[in-house]
Amino acid sequence: MIAYKPARIIESLVIPVGALLTGTALFGLFCAALGENGFAVFHSIYRAAFADWYSWQNTLTRAAPLLLCGLCTALPARAGLIVIGNEGAMVVGAIGAVSAGLAFPDAPHIASILLMAAAGMICGGLWICIAASLHHFRGVNAVISSLLLNYIAIALLNHLIEGPMRDPASLNNPSTRPLAAAQHLGLIPGSRVHDGLLFGLAACAAAWFLFSRTAFGFSARVVGGNIRAAQLCGIGIGRVLLILSFLGGACAGLAGMVEVAAVQGRANASVNTGYGYAGILVAFLARHNPAGIVLVSLLLGGIVASGGMLQRAHNLPDAAVMVLQGILFLVILCSETLYGRWTERRLRAN
Amino acid sequence: MTPPAVELRNISKRFGNVLALDGAELRVGAGEFHALVGENGAGKSTLAKCLIGINGIDAGEMRIGGETWAGGDPRAARRMGIGMVFQHFTLVPSMTVAENLSLARPGPPAVIDWNEERKSLAAFLADAPFQVNLDAVVSELSAGQKQKIEILKELYLGTRVLLLDEPTSVLTPDEAEEVLDRLRAMASRGELSVLLITHKFREVMRYADQVTVLRKGRAAGTRAVATTNEAELAEMMMGERRATEVTDRAEKGQGEVVLSVSNLSVRGDKGLDVLHGLTFESRAGEILGIAGISGNGQREFVEVVAGQRPYRSGGITVNGERYAAECDCMRRLGVFVLPEMPLRNAAVPSMTVAENMALREFDQPPITRHGLLNHETIRTLGLGLIERFSVSPPSPDLPIAALSGGNVQRAVLARELGGREIRVLIAANPCFGLDFAATRFIHNELIAARNRGASVVLISEDLDELMDLSDRILVMNAGRIVYQCTRSEAEQVEIGRHMAGHAVVQ
Amino acid sequence: MAAGRSGGCVPTEAPMEGWGVVLGVAAGAVRGSIPYLFVSLGECLTEKSGKINLGMEGVLLMGAVTAFGVSDRSGSPWFGLLAAALAGAILGALHAGLTRLPRVNDVASGIAMILFGSGLAFFIGKQFVAPMAPQLPLIDLGGWSASPAIRSALRISPLFFCGIALGFALDFVFRRTRWGLYVRASGDDPMAARSIGIPVGAVRMAATVVGASMAAVGGAHLTLYYPGIWSEGISGGQGLMAVALVIFARWQPLRCVLAALLFGGAQALGPSLQAAGQTGYYQLFNASPYLLTLTLMALTGSRHGGLSGAPGSLGRSG
Repeated sequence: MIAYKPARIIESLVIPVGALLTGTALFGLFCAALGENGFAVFHSIYRAAFADWYSWQNTLTRAAPLLLCGLCTALPARAGLIVIGNEGAMVVGAIGAVSAGLAFPDAPHIASILLMAAAGMICGGLWICIAASLHHFRGVNAVISSLLLNYIAIALLNHLIEGPMRDPASLNNPSTRPLAAAQHLGLIPGSRVHDGLLFGLAACAAAWFLFSRTAFGFSARVVGGNIRAAQLCGIGIGRVLLILSFLGGACAGLAGMVEVAAVQGRANASVNTGYGYAGILVAFLARHNPAGIVLVSLLLGGIVASGGMLQRAHNLPDAAVMVLQGILFLVILCSETLYGRWTERRLRAN
Repeated sequence: MTPPAVELRNISKRFGNVLALDGAELRVGAGEFHALVGENGAGKSTLAKCLIGINGIDAGEMRIGGETWAGGDPRAARRMGIGMVFQHFTLVPSMTVAENLSLARPGPPAVIDWNEERKSLAAFLADAPFQVNLDAVVSELSAGQKQKIEILKELYLGTRVLLLDEPTSVLTPDEAEEVLDRLRAMASRGELSVLLITHKFREVMRYADQVTVLRKGRAAGTRAVATTNEAELAEMMMGERRATEVTDRAEKGQGEVVLSVSNLSVRGDKGLDVLHGLTFESRAGEILGIAGISGNGQREFVEVVAGQRPYRSGGITVNGERYAAECDCMRRLGVFVLPEMPLRNAAVPSMTVAENMALREFDQPPITRHGLLNHETIRTLGLGLIERFSVSPPSPDLPIAALSGGNVQRAVLARELGGREIRVLIAANPCFGLDFAATRFIHNELIAARNRGASVVLISEDLDELMDLSDRILVMNAGRIVYQCTRSEAEQVEIGRHMAGHAVVQ
Repeated sequence: MAAGRSGGCVPTEAPMEGWGVVLGVAAGAVRGSIPYLFVSLGECLTEKSGKINLGMEGVLLMGAVTAFGVSDRSGSPWFGLLAAALAGAILGALHAGLTRLPRVNDVASGIAMILFGSGLAFFIGKQFVAPMAPQLPLIDLGGWSASPAIRSALRISPLFFCGIALGFALDFVFRRTRWGLYVRASGDDPMAARSIGIPVGAVRMAATVVGASMAAVGGAHLTLYYPGIWSEGISGGQGLMAVALVIFARWQPLRCVLAALLFGGAQALGPSLQAAGQTGYYQLFNASPYLLTLTLMALTGSRHGGLSGAPGSLGRSG
């Protein structure tokens, strides 16, 4: 007879893994309905994502922004606040980073990176704080407001890159002036993966530490668990929510900085990558747990990386990947009901 | 139409591991006013829910009007004329009285012609025991009016056997008298059989023809009210004369004023003020009881102290210092709150017992140093408190939601009482729904805290509890203090009258 | 998801300055209000029953793509409309079924529906090569005018009138029909409703399915009306704004109608100004509906919640 605590640990592994397998099976059926062999599709995904060092690098490159964007939703969610403004925070972070970079074109490498990262993080953090403030001070639904802020951020981006910040040399694809070479983010030695991955891993580690080892993390869990109990014990709800939202937004803003400094070298319409939305998915799939975010980011990064392969080998459009993501999300949601059923019986038996 | 005779024999009902009913018996004749008494957890509500078909029965026999019925079907119960008025209201708040009554009717037409509806409702109301305003919105009515509408609804649906679960708990003594008098009259005329679930012996002796006492899920006896008395009922209810181990009340002179509430005005959920310039003081080493029908601002007051509700004007001071519901302030001033429904208001269901016990201290040494939290320390401290307060099961790692109601309250009490120096303890209905042992335990802890010099403010809807424990009693009505008296001056009737707001404000 | 819509319609004649903008906004208000009408009324019904469906954006897109596809294949826009309603119903059933499971968060499910619905819509939409599908016939109210601008502005989709009628119908249903009362009871106090014998789960399921079906019809308008093309940017968050709109309208169907007209007008501001020659802050004007929504939500909200008119059980499980 298994005791309660180990039962809970088993449960938190078996259920998500089982859900993922079910989700992939459903996607396999979906592919079959389109006339494609599900197993062949999965094999292609594996080949494009995890088969060799080349594919791994593709996956890791795509996992980097997912790590950061996932944290944007996961951090406030632990305190009970759901925001999905990752895309907007990323865009605003990119704008901030590029502005900082362009303001000091001759700065040395490290200083540039630090400056741009800080600018990106502050801009992203403040952006999400808008949604959190509206929620706390005006009772505005944060899901709706953060999603609206996404659209506003994108409109702002378009306005700036087509107008005030436009590089005259960019004709067909409006963008800002390029950053100096010294301002680009380097690659991890021995690979084609940029340093953004390290930022993401560091952020996840910091988040894990925050929640499991600090008093602030404990208070966040209380706020997320029962807000009335938190009030009773005098925990400042607004403070907790705003700090977590700022930190989450800062992560997404950092992802924007990475996009600008490592991938594009400038800010243009491609900064609006869609990683923000994938970040929402990452957070929910990982149940807002930083350790889970690392695993899920790798998985999802791999799936995204295989999009091109799926198109070439199986004639499945990019959007098929979106469908897979959607199915996974729905299945994970369903699996929420399973938690506690088995462990409750353990509890009563003891 | 005469109501059917009701007979329940040897009823057993199990919920999971718990045997709620174990061979219970009940007989209600046609036109009879029958009282069902027992302490919390004896099975009164469960038995009533079996009769009305909400609970199925595991064993035993039910006969309605001579015909056997298997139970388990609320609609069949309704057809046979059995209806129940619950402790919680079943009226939709945003709708009018007329809409609620029409809604309750089985098979209202697809499109409602309000003219026709109102005519038939008016016709019904002409013969009804109470009058109501059909166009009033339910959320704006008082508890007493809502209770009357609940009863009317049952009558409108043709109920002949009316079950009432503690109906007078939300009524003033005068309203309670009105309702029970009218129902008694209807029973005497043979129009209605009434089964009144209550724990108030006064009601039993005054209104009922017959009384059945339940203890631990079985019938301890049935008597005609005329041939019994309160002492016998109490003995049947409790099993034997149990020595009440009450902690000694230390004799205390009047301590200095600790808690001072002045002119507190608070807005309620509906946008209207529920506290109007509330002003009172409580002293060290006393239990100050605040009596009042629920809904007169008590809940909101506790929420203000707990930081769950803002206040518009006025203030609260402790030992002369302004009180704010922030961690530091609460700690420094020694203010602790034991709210009602602890799982909802005072605990985090998903966290462990030990973590819940640490909610007030987690950001201080020894648990936290330099911002870093030590889980082992939480666990150790929790173990100590669990032992001191007899929390069961004694594991600090269980999620608190897995504990029974009494143990959750013990755990929360442990947190509030176990740590540091308490100057003010506010307890709101702390023993609601708990069994005898847990209630005794909590009462003793409150007295012990008082003896140690704390100022205990006990807000309760149970006048018996207040009269047992308090040194002074205040009555709160419509958001104001309308009466106060000391322990020796306290009289149930007088206090009851002030609770109803009928007497002149002192 | 990208911002901006490709449904912004502009008078095709040479623009007149001041008048042109006003006319453009008015015509745009009528046109642009249609998705908001249907989605907000659908969400109003759903929320009145106590469920919140944030996934309307996904439903909208699925409605659009389904209408386009079926209209294209079958040649009849009316079949397209029906198919869109069906698609919406299916998605609504999915959301309602999911959220009925214990411990499944309404909000999370809504977000999942946005992602899933959009993904599926984009996926299906990839295969359409036809530039335009058969359109819904327009009702011509402007025959009396000599001005081509006015005549063009007064060619109105029948869905507009349907939407307005739907608003009145919903108001009637809530006040005077049995099912309307069931919906209100289920949303305000499900425990009380169950005590009376109302099948709360079934009522909520029905309200969600019908509501999503209505929203999908609103989506169908996007592709069955000039310019009638399908593209991934066809909705710029209108589904979501309509959800905010319901709160702003305090869950009253008639107010939803008015608010929908307001939002439609705000949406037409950017394209109208551009047509009138104002190109400077085009992008920012495009952001005006979102800013409007945010501002309205901030103004009408309050720190301690408890908006008057809110169904009692909204946001709470049970």
